[in-house]
Amino acid sequence: MKTNSINLTDHQIIRLAADGDARAIRSLYDRYSPRVYAVVRRIAGDDDLAEDYAQEAWIRAIRALPTFRGDARFSTWLHRIAVNAALQALRKAETREKREAPVVADIAIAPAASDSLLQKRLEGALDGLPEGMRRVLILHDVEGYTHEEIGDVLGVTAGTSKSQLFKARAKMRVMLAGLDGAAQEHGAEAWSI
Amino acid sequence: MEHLNAEHLARLVDEQPTPEEADHLSTCKACSDKSDALRSQTEALRALPVMVPPQGDWHVLEAQLRSEGLMKDPGLVQRLGFVRTPGWMKTAAALVLFLSGTGTGVALTHADPGTIEPVAMDFANVEGAASAVLVAEQEYVTAVSRYREILAAGGGDNYGGDPVSRFAALEHLVMVSQAAVRQAPGDPFLNGMLASAMAERDVAARMVSSKRDNWF
Repeated sequence: MKTNSINLTDHQIIRLAADGDARAIRSLYDRYSPRVYAVVRRIAGDDDLAEDYAQEAWIRAIRALPTFRGDARFSTWLHRIAVNAALQALRKAETREKREAPVVADIAIAPAASDSLLQKRLEGALDGLPEGMRRVLILHDVEGYTHEEIGDVLGVTAGTSKSQLFKARAKMRVMLAGLDGAAQEHGAEAWSI
Repeated sequence: MEHLNAEHLARLVDEQPTPEEADHLSTCKACSDKSDALRSQTEALRALPVMVPPQGDWHVLEAQLRSEGLMKDPGLVQRLGFVRTPGWMKTAAALVLFLSGTGTGVALTHADPGTIEPVAMDFANVEGAASAVLVAEQEYVTAVSRYREILAAGGGDNYGGDPVSRFAALEHLVMVSQAAVRQAPGDPFLNGMLASAMAERDVAARMVSSKRDNWF
């Protein structure tokens, strides 16, 4: 067995990180931070909050590493911690202002590369959804959670999760259609999703 | 049949339509288009990419982890790959660091003492000091590597299975450590090595006694 960290397996890196090894922790961060940041950013709906939530998620994860037994994939385990950290932080905050499409004009007026624009439009519409709908839509349609898993995480029934999801999809569709209209008014390319 | 409302259409992204809904969708272009749009929207959401955290995110996290004692830098021994080696062997390797500069290290590296050139201690500037540290570390790496070879070639890896040989090696380490401490009685590093070597030697001594007891 080689002990050079470059050749270590995931399991070995995780064990070293659990012991506080700086390089092992950095290795985990480099590998998984984009996914962690993405999910907390979408749940938070705000860049500054997302940074705080991502930090909190990582600290929780590093604290809990000694308890990680490998029953689930590490990425799944970490992802769940990130989701819980973001959701709990949001519940505590309670002061978040609702964002009803304040970014429409910016997104529509400045088209960049097509993929990038589409992504921005989707992210902007996500940010504009009411809190409850947004969480369910992100967990189901973006992160691939089942309604039962969403029920566990959010403390609601699977039926409530479904109901919120369908409302969120419909509202998102309306918002995106609104973005198309705004884009056309400003002479930018309209996007039909 | 009336048009399907938006929530009905959103449900059909995941679920099969009823016969009535299917009939309506096959004849109503408006509802069919909306249904297609909702499917495309869902597919686009599933394809959203991960996001790169802001620059500086790691440094903030690192500072916080260190402040909570959740992160520490690996010691030199660990950096050299001794993570899984026994404590007594780490002590031995650490001793080589000290001894390599005083003569014993020369013997361990099988180098001709005449070829060992002193490190140029040019501490007139930061670059000079950093360079000297790098050279010293490289010499240490060479000495430790050689030490491992010696252990392997001489059955060092089997010391754990041969208490008498292990005890003899540790006794030697204790003696060398004691000599080093006599030279620098207040040095906490050397005292720590001596204490560790003595502890390992005592464990080995108990193992030797235990084996002798079994002979009877």
